[in-house]
Parts: sequence; C-alpha cells; structure tokens
Amino acid sequence: MSTLLELSGVSVSFDGFKAINNLAFQIAEPEMRAIIGPNGAGKTTFMDIITGKTTPDEGHVLWGEKSINLIGKSESMIAREGIGRKFQKPTVFENQTVRENLAMALKNPRGPFEVLLYRKSTEGAARIEALAAEINLTEQLTRNAGELSHGQKQWLEIGMLLAQDPRLLLVDEPAAGMTVSERGKTTEILVEAAKTRAVVVVEHDMEFVRRLNCKVTVLHEGSVLAEGSIDHVTQNPEVIDVYLGR
Amino acid sequence: MRKSFFAENPSVLWFLACLGLFTLGVTVLAEATGAGVISTSFVKTLGKVLCLCLIAIAMDVVWGYCGILSLGHFAFFGIGGYAVGMWLMYARTEAIVTQNLAERTIPPTPTEINDAIATQIFGVVGSTEFPMIWAFSHSLALQLLLVVLVPGLLALVFGWLAFRSRVTGVYLSILTQAMTLALALYLFQNDSGLRGNNGLSGLQNIPGFEAIPQSVISMAFFWASAVALGLGYVLFARVLSGKMGSVIRAIRDGEARVRFLGYHVESYKLFIFTLTAVVAGIAGALYYPQAGIINPAEVAPIASIYLAVWVAIGGRGRLYGAVIGTAFVSLLSSWFTGGGAPNINLGFYTIQWTEWWLVLLGVSFVAVTLFFPGGIGMIFEKLKRNAS
Repeated sequence: MSTLLELSGVSVSFDGFKAINNLAFQIAEPEMRAIIGPNGAGKTTFMDIITGKTTPDEGHVLWGEKSINLIGKSESMIAREGIGRKFQKPTVFENQTVRENLAMALKNPRGPFEVLLYRKSTEGAARIEALAAEINLTEQLTRNAGELSHGQKQWLEIGMLLAQDPRLLLVDEPAAGMTVSERGKTTEILVEAAKTRAVVVVEHDMEFVRRLNCKVTVLHEGSVLAEGSIDHVTQNPEVIDVYLGR
Repeated sequence: MRKSFFAENPSVLWFLACLGLFTLGVTVLAEATGAGVISTSFVKTLGKVLCLCLIAIAMDVVWGYCGILSLGHFAFFGIGGYAVGMWLMYARTEAIVTQNLAERTIPPTPTEINDAIATQIFGVVGSTEFPMIWAFSHSLALQLLLVVLVPGLLALVFGWLAFRSRVTGVYLSILTQAMTLALALYLFQNDSGLRGNNGLSGLQNIPGFEAIPQSVISMAFFWASAVALGLGYVLFARVLSGKMGSVIRAIRDGEARVRFLGYHVESYKLFIFTLTAVVAGIAGALYYPQAGIINPAEVAPIASIYLAVWVAIGGRGRLYGAVIGTAFVSLLSSWFTGGGAPNINLGFYTIQWTEWWLVLLGVSFVAVTLFFPGGIGMIFEKLKRNAS
C-alpha cells in the first residue's frame, strides 16, 4: 500500500469565508475511505479542489508515485490522470442511451480527432457489457438514461466512473434517495471497487458508512476533526459535539 | 465503414434521395435544361436557398448539437462570398480592360493594365490602387483557398480566445454578434479595400464563360449548390454519428460533467466552431455568384439572427429540420417581401405583407420557441414514431 493522494496545508476561502482551512489528507491505493461531516464542513469543496474545479489559495495536492502537483491542472487533465468523480445529484446524459453513456466514459483516447476516428471494438463492447452487469443495468443498455429510476441513474454514474478505470474514485452521497435493497447493491459495488483502487465516499448516512467498514475522516469547518474507525470517531466527544449530537 | 455508416443512419440516405429528386425535378422544369416552367431567376433563388440550407445545417451542428448559440456565422458566409467575389470581379474587369486597351495602336504595358483594372474597380471609392488584400485576386485557386482559410482561421482564433476563457451561453452569443458587427462596420468603410458599401457586384458574370447564357450558368450553380449541400450533410452526419456525436451532445447537455470524464471540452467546441465556419464560407462562396452582388449589409448582425430563426423553426438538433426550416422560411420570406402575398384589407387598415412579414416571422419564432420547441422537424419524428 502506497500513498496515492496527499493534501497538505490546503486552504481556500470564498469572500472571506474559509471553506477549507489548513487541511491535511492522505489516501493509499487500494483503500476505502468515508468522509463525514456536518453541512458546510467543506466536503464538496474538498472534492472540488482535488478535481481541479477550485484552485486552493495555498497548500499542496500531490498525486501518484511521482508526486505530481495537481494544482493548476484543468478538470479534464486531472480526470485523465485517473481521478473520477460522482456528483451528489446524478448527472448522466439523459438524452443518450445507457450504452452511449458508458461508451463515452470508457478509458480511451480523449482528443477530438481520436474520438472522431474512433471505431467500435469488440473489447469495448465486452467491457460495456461487463460494467452493465456489475451495476445491474444489462437490461437497460438500449434505454435512454433519462428513463431510468433515481437509483439506476446513481448506478449508471458509478458505472461511468468505473468505465474510466480511475485510480481514485470520489463518490458524493452515492446512497441518497435509494431504497434499502439498492443501498445494499451500492455498498457491494463500492467495496468491490475499493479492492483495486482508492475510493473516497462522502456520506451523511451513518448506517451506510458503517457497512462500508472502513477508515472514517470527520471534516469540520474545513479541517480534519478526527480520523479512525467508525466506532473510534463516533465515540470522540468533539465529533459528538459538532456532528452527531445535533 | 462507409456501408455501415449509411446503414446506421438511414435518414441520411433519405435526405440525399429527396435532394436528388428535387434537383432532378428543377432540372426537368427549368428554362435551360427542360420544360421552361421555372424561370432562370427562380432557379437562382432555389440555388441560393440550397446555399442557405448548407449554412443552416452548419448552424444546427454548432447550436442544436453542440449548444453554442453562435450569432455570427453569417460573417464566415460573407467572407466566403467576398473571397470568391474578388476573383470574379478582378478577372472580369481584366478581360474588359484588356479588350479596351487592345484597340490602341501602342500595346499596353502590364503596369498600365494593372492600373486600369484598379481604377475600374476602385474608382467608385476614390482609389486607383490595389489594396494588399487583393494580392491573390488574379488567381481563382488562391481565392478559393481563402474561402476556406480565412473563415477557418478567424473561427479558430476567435473560438480559441472565447472558449479558453470559458465564455458560454448568452455572453458568447453577444461576442459572436460583436464579431459580425465589427466585420460589417469594417467593410462599410471606403478604405477597407473591398469597395465600402458598394460591395462587389457583377458576380453573376463568370469570366471565361461570357458566351454561355445565364440560364445555363444558373443551372450549373444550382447543381453545385445541391452537391455541396449533399456533401455537407453527409460530412456533418458523419461527425455527429458515433462517439463524437455522443460527446458533442453531452457537451450541450452538461459541459462540466464532460470535463470530469476527462474530455477537453474547449478543443471539441473549437473543432465544431471552426468546421462549421469553413462550411459557412463555402456556402457563401456558392451563394454570391448566384446573388450577383455582395455588400457589407450581408454580414450585418441581423443576418446571423435570421439564421438562428430558420434553424429554430425547422427544429434544432435535426439536420433535416434545419434544411426544412430554412427552405420554408426563406422561400416564404421572398414571397411575402417580393409582393407575392395579397395584401389584406381590414377596412380601417390594410396589412401590407412587405412590412408585416417581419412581424409574422417574429411571432412565429416566439410561438415555435414557446409551444413547439421541436419545430417543423418534430412532425417527421412523430410520423416516424407512429409508423413504427
């Protein structure tokens, strides 16, 4: 297990409000990590910084064996480095079929001319079939993504993440709005993914986090308040005070 | 690969068949080649409509598919027209001047000929010299190259600056309007080198083909326009099929999400913007020899807005919709503004269509946007769905 991503001394403020304050964070590969924290703790900003949407005021974001600095790189470059992100609200392309959605995400050259000359391959088709099976959408491959249920859209988005074959997955509230059985399936998918890669899950639902059975990082006011097993952090008086107690 | 493309996109074959039948029908009925039911001037009108359809499908690709509401594509169309117009004017004037000077007892020197041509062309704006930008006007091949190069480069530079700064939505539309307005204002100046508001004229006379009657020349341009439209349609349908089309539509629907998938959105936009600008330039180069004249008013902002109206009425996001909308609206427009439509006497007020046509067009545009976002093309889609 080696460190895949390391944030140190990262701060960012919006109009004087410190959304992230001297944050330090590390994740290894493979590893599963859950991030919890009250609203406004900086969870989304944390992901924005890693994926290049927000540039921090100070600090370092280092990636991979060569410790590449991710700050200043564009969203698409960071995605190509191997960081995939799933948003809280499922954002799949509703006017396109499940197959088209997955095909777009498949790990392939991303330049316009390469895509223009791209030919469908049997390996690609097989990979899409395998992914669809993994996310329970084999039957829906030819349907428009807009026709899927909320839970299925969430899965499709996770499937698109896996199709990118990233080394790090950032998953924002994957179980939001899901039924109990859908949640079970989602847990399975994520745990399976974390066997070979780093997975960061942001989640409010404590039961869901407990089932992921992994190290938990508690964010509060833009920095790490506590880190450890779920039982360890839930017994931490400070954590109870700011988060669980409310 | 070819085979599978048409097999996967039967609508392209349908379109080509319709276009072919239409071209054949006009040929059979035209003055020069057939029954003589269709006059030469109407053949020209139809040929021009085909060119407008070509720029309209380009507009549909950039707006309907990629989500960039460009209100400046007529600038590229105009540049294409000017580029080909420069050669047409130069070559024709050269022929006339050489003929006139040949009657003199002393043979004219090349400088004399050159000065005479320049005086002939630029006398109207008080100049007797060729401006720099006419350097290649003696060569048809070079000017045709400019038809493609100038719109392409302008779109590349403009698009690069705009997309790199992530200018999107209405701000980008305003920027493209500013671009075409700036071009129009520049061209209006007498010292622009393109004859100011006089523009370039006499473009219907093709040098070297003086002996051939306009009825035949108009047919040739009509066919050329039909071929260009067919090729353009296939080109765009090919670009929009498969994974490229998927990414482009995804950019329209969720640009940020596409970035997080690892695609460099700006490159894709730039590619589409530039490609459609080049096609617009070609459409303009075919249009103006049929129109006979080009002047700066052609690239005024309103022209590009009309283009958006045609595409919206025809139905965005369907190439054939853009063709139907453009053909329908532009033919209707020439009927109304040409005095073809009978005025309506309300007793207290007479609706004169030459004035009220714009109001009707405006109301239709608003109505389509509000109530039929699919436009005319939606009707075909419904028919297809009912049939299957």
